[in-house]
Amino acid sequence: MRQYLMNSDDQLILEFRQGSREAFVELFERYREPIYGFFRRRLDYPARAEELAQECFLALLQNVQRYEPRASFRSYLYGIAIHLVAAERRKAGREVVENEKLDSRALEGNAAENNDAGIWVRSALGHLEQSEREILMLREYEQLSYGEIASVLRMPVNTVRSRLFRARSALKNQLLPVKD
Amino acid sequence: MERNAQHAFDAEEVMAYLDGELEARRAAALASHLVSCSECQEMAQGFRALSERMLSFEVEHPSAGVNETVLAALDSAKSPNAAGTDRAQNQRGWNWRQVFGRRRNWAVACAVAVVAILAITIPNLRRLATVPLNGRNFTEVMKLERRENATSSGYKKWLSDDAVPVHSEGQIPANASARGEGWDASAPAPPAAGQLHAPETVGPMIVQTASLNILATNYDEASAAIEKLAATHGGYVEKLDGKAQTGNARELSASLRIPTKQLDGFLADVRKLGHVEEETRSNEEVSDQYVDLQARLKSARATEQRLIELLGTRTGKLQDVLEAERELARIRAEIESMQGQSAILIHRVNYATVQVDLNEEYRQVLGSGPISTGTKIRNAAVEGFSNVEEGAVALVVFLFAVGPSLLFWLAILLVPGWFIWKRFRVRARS
Repeated sequence: MRQYLMNSDDQLILEFRQGSREAFVELFERYREPIYGFFRRRLDYPARAEELAQECFLALLQNVQRYEPRASFRSYLYGIAIHLVAAERRKAGREVVENEKLDSRALEGNAAENNDAGIWVRSALGHLEQSEREILMLREYEQLSYGEIASVLRMPVNTVRSRLFRARSALKNQLLPVKD
Repeated sequence: MERNAQHAFDAEEVMAYLDGELEARRAAALASHLVSCSECQEMAQGFRALSERMLSFEVEHPSAGVNETVLAALDSAKSPNAAGTDRAQNQRGWNWRQVFGRRRNWAVACAVAVVAILAITIPNLRRLATVPLNGRNFTEVMKLERRENATSSGYKKWLSDDAVPVHSEGQIPANASARGEGWDASAPAPPAAGQLHAPETVGPMIVQTASLNILATNYDEASAAIEKLAATHGGYVEKLDGKAQTGNARELSASLRIPTKQLDGFLADVRKLGHVEEETRSNEEVSDQYVDLQARLKSARATEQRLIELLGTRTGKLQDVLEAERELARIRAEIESMQGQSAILIHRVNYATVQVDLNEEYRQVLGSGPISTGTKIRNAAVEGFSNVEEGAVALVVFLFAVGPSLLFWLAILLVPGWFIWKRFRVRARS
């Protein structure tokens, strides 16, 4: 597995396409936690987040033969994740991250979230407009570039930048002390 | 975050610079500007603080369950693609998009369908094309043979009016023996026109009938032999009725006309065809009928003659003449009728009626049902094929019937539907 450490995600996925098991294991190791975090921040229940993370990797396994390196692998993987979250929300018929729905059950068993700062952040995120919130989260938590966000959400890069700026400004007003 | 209008860089650019998303030359300019501009420094600090603050929204680590499931799926698959396919099948049954999305699968499916259609249709076509008689049932074949036999032997011709002989009234066939066998029966039967001989001498006229019920060991030979025997003895087949129901013994019922003189010989030959289960024979004396018929014929002819003479003199009134002519016409019709009856009577005396019922000695075959398994499967396949055909036709008919209105409503609903779908997608994605 060590030999893959220096390889890029895009190289690894192409090697996996040609049948390399190790390449997939390496990719899985790299993205296991980020993908779980992606779902966990967007869903109420940790168990469901794990299931969807699992489904996300299974979808990757299933569709690897159809993978084409048009955009970065990260865009592709988070594209799958976005799709799964959207499907989950449709199924649940509600907005999961919306602040109104942020009740105590979402915090169960989540030691890290028991700090006040985390709760405040989550609450503040819930007040953002949906697409702005998604762009901000993809940027801050998933560390996607503007181009990758544009590719995942299928919108122009300039739109991503302006919405990200709006989202940050709004969040800053809520979270940071306003200077006189 | 209002910016001074005269400021060289706006806040969004500062943000993009911090994200590393600013174009290189612009980034370099902003970097040097930041050193000197406290307002921009403050703004950059604000963005950095926000990012740090957001990182406080932490999540726990995933459990090992994710690891195990994904890696198990990876290992259980023979190839990366197969892993996905198996998983998809487990989740939703067949992945139809994969099945139908491949040309190879389509080609295989089409080839199988074509082979199935050919396998069903070709044997049928061959059966129809090769032996025409194979398609008919046993009874039809028998009837056909009977017709051919009757036509070739002049039977139909004999039945025509021209063939009915006119013989002298009041005379019983001269060559008739005591049993009626002495009549001219030596000519090959059935008699053609002019061959029916009227009895000339007085003697008993006997109509003979015989009935035989035979159990044939070799049914095929026996059934074929009956007609041959009839022809050999100068007789002919009047009616032949065969039954060959599946799972039952075959039966042949033949009504034959045999020259009276040949009757004994014919019956002796028929008895050899199998075991005679029942035999009956009867004689009916018809001399009285014949004599009576001839007497009435003679009387009618005399009346006819008198009427002709009467009309020849024409001394009466016109009404009487007309009356006489009507009477003459009636008498002549009567004479013709009696002549016909006389001819039939003579024929009945000359040709004995023999009823032969031939039964097959049938052995039930163990395990062979009414229809064999192969036939059942074939019938089911044909039925299935025709069902598919009917279904396809019904679908096409339905599409033609409903299609236009469907297209019409689709066209009307497409635009609002598209907008709703678009909104839904945007909501769902975000």
